[in-house]
Amino acid sequence: MNEFLKQFLIESRELVDQAVNDLLELEKLPNDAERFGNAFRAFHTLKGGAGIVEFAAMQTALHCAEDAFTAARAASRPLSAREIGNCLLCIDQVVDWLDAIERTGDLPPDADAAAVVARFTGSPTSEPNAASPVQPAGAAWLDALLREHPAAARSAQTAVRYRPDVDSFFRQQDPLARIAALPGLLAVDVAPGDRWPTLDELDPFSCNLVITALLAASPAATTTALGDDLRHCDVATLADRPKTAGPPSVAQPAAELLGAQLQLLAATAEPYQPGCVASAGLVAANVLRHVGRLEEAEGIAAAADRSLDEGRPQRLVEAIRGALEGAPTTAAAEPLRVKRQEAIQTLRVGTDRIDTLVRLTGELTVAKNAIGHGAKLAEAASSALGATLKNQHATLERLIGELQRAVVGMRVLPLRVAFQRFPRLIREMSAELGKPATLVLEGEDTEADKAIVEILVEPLAHVLRNAMDHGVEAPAARAAAAKPAVATIRVRAFRDGEHVLIEVSDDGAGIDIERVRQVAQERNMMPPEVLAAASDEEIIDLIFAAGLSTAAQVSEISGRGVGMDAVRTAVGRLGGQVEARTERGQGTTIRFTLPFSVLVTQVMTVEAGGQTFGIPLDAVVETLRVSSESIFPVGAAHAIVLRNRTVPLVKLAQVLARGTRQHADESGPIVIAKIDGELGALQVDRIGERIDVMLKPLDGLLAGLPGITGSTMLGDGSVLLVLDLAELMQ
Amino acid sequence: MTVRLNDDGAIELSGRCGVEDAEILQRHLLAQPGSAVDWSGCEHLHSAVIQVLLVGRPEVRGLPLNTFLRTHIAPLMERTVE
Repeated sequence: MNEFLKQFLIESRELVDQAVNDLLELEKLPNDAERFGNAFRAFHTLKGGAGIVEFAAMQTALHCAEDAFTAARAASRPLSAREIGNCLLCIDQVVDWLDAIERTGDLPPDADAAAVVARFTGSPTSEPNAASPVQPAGAAWLDALLREHPAAARSAQTAVRYRPDVDSFFRQQDPLARIAALPGLLAVDVAPGDRWPTLDELDPFSCNLVITALLAASPAATTTALGDDLRHCDVATLADRPKTAGPPSVAQPAAELLGAQLQLLAATAEPYQPGCVASAGLVAANVLRHVGRLEEAEGIAAAADRSLDEGRPQRLVEAIRGALEGAPTTAAAEPLRVKRQEAIQTLRVGTDRIDTLVRLTGELTVAKNAIGHGAKLAEAASSALGATLKNQHATLERLIGELQRAVVGMRVLPLRVAFQRFPRLIREMSAELGKPATLVLEGEDTEADKAIVEILVEPLAHVLRNAMDHGVEAPAARAAAAKPAVATIRVRAFRDGEHVLIEVSDDGAGIDIERVRQVAQERNMMPPEVLAAASDEEIIDLIFAAGLSTAAQVSEISGRGVGMDAVRTAVGRLGGQVEARTERGQGTTIRFTLPFSVLVTQVMTVEAGGQTFGIPLDAVVETLRVSSESIFPVGAAHAIVLRNRTVPLVKLAQVLARGTRQHADESGPIVIAKIDGELGALQVDRIGERIDVMLKPLDGLLAGLPGITGSTMLGDGSVLLVLDLAELMQ
Repeated sequence: MTVRLNDDGAIELSGRCGVEDAEILQRHLLAQPGSAVDWSGCEHLHSAVIQVLLVGRPEVRGLPLNTFLRTHIAPLMERTVE
């Protein structure tokens, strides 16, 4: 099962539980607004997830349930018992589908939301996308195409017939290039639109082509990819055709892999490269073994050997082609699938347990450092004992290092994991809304606590949907405002001290503050006199309140007013904040500020005023020495000039060790650090070493200490205070 | 030059052949019926050029550099040669 589906299953199951609990509570206390909001959010988020994995039937079913919530909220009435019953029925259906996904590793191909829709509307209704251009199979062109490409036909989900306009060459179009760019292309055929003319009567500039293609992508993905050209296309869905091969989840990747080997061999045919032949043979044989076609696997392996002997890839190419054409036996594939199910079991462990592990590892590290200190002392007293202790300490150090990495690995993920879904989301929304947009991702390698990365996906997706739906203007409006036709949505992540910041900005119209004010008034979200006195910032902040949506229409994408309050709730639960900045006509930026609760930090130790401090290493740009004359006073503060820039300078001993008032070394080394994007200089007495520490937030009496972000214990038992540079530089 | 005659009389398609190359290729094929087309240096063929190849059915030599052409268009050429 792919990563998306796995994640989707885990999330959906949690949301289903939540929705059921809330619905059952609502049945007892129909006027409980919080429960109502929670249940509504659960349905909304479930639907969002279904959209991400392209599960149309589930989206349709949940959409009906959402409509019931929307209607109830609009009429300021509770859900009726009947509506609650229908919502629960909808959830039952969703659970059935989730079970099917878990069993088969793929979306149920025959999923149908009609029963759920009928319950909500009281009458049988077809799927809303019945008007879509996707046709059932059965056309003559389709049969010919499938006959011509039997191997591709087995793994194809979609067939396309594209009849470009006769004058399409004139209009700078390249129809075959269009087809070549479709996702999951398996086979292509080109036929004359009319009959082929003779060469001398051919008009080379008029297009007389009919292109047919088989694709491994879903019909939905294909229609999206075809975009405007869809009106020249027939799209047939092949999912419900009986297949000679096993289910697509097994056959399709295998066929793709075999095809990829053929492509590799073709691409490297000249000059002959034995390495490519060997690796292609190996992969092809493994693929066949995996799908249970053992004899053919041996055949491939033998063909690869012979190809290597002959110094020509030909035999292997033929063998792989043969394997692609030959029908795999379903009997062999069946027992294998059972085995796969057992293998994908994962264990979910509560974060509190992992936190305990993290804390214990931190304490072990401190204890290990103390032993190192002890070993040094022992070495001075008795060399034999010292050597033994030192050896044991080295072993301990290695093991604890591994433990630390493993524990940290459980908790830390790059934000890429959260971001990887977004390009697809934007692409699909862009097609759906007819608003061209590109997504720019920055700082994907920024790491954050696993809990944060996982939980952020939905809030970020909400914000992106909002940006596309409400932020980015329709093409005509953008043209009128002289903006680039293609909108830019930017997701930028960076670490700032003990925080991870993520900004989602669009270059759209910005938030219409007056409109928000008006809607807030209409919905009585605030007493009128408070609303009248509210600043623009306070008004903008209302977008995070429950029940505010300024979109004129409730769409599939967003605009139900459950999005942004869900975002704030989710981020708040993580101990973070979310805020919006907007500029009329220029766009909106939503900024997430989240704690970076990962517990290992690299610090550089420095001494100042006779005390040792730690500086987070990722803030340090460089260290240098300057003569005391180069430090000049600016009012009450100091600054230095670094490469023609004035950089403010803080003398650490004076700032932190006020009480001791030791004579600070005027020519001490200087640490240049980057704080909030600005450079700052920190003069210290001495620069120490780099160490990994498990940072603990200050608590108790020390909690309010300014300029300190946390503490850690050093090997000799002393406490190292780690500086919060942003606060120091203020 | 994306369409040219090489030393042994074959028509050579190389690099990225655009829509304007269709007419040039057609002229070459009409001027010398039966000449082969060498497309082994070809990175991209516009649909119009492929159309000329499918109509003229010359003998094609080599395999183009582009994966799409190699995987999906080359077999069509073989089929039309007969």
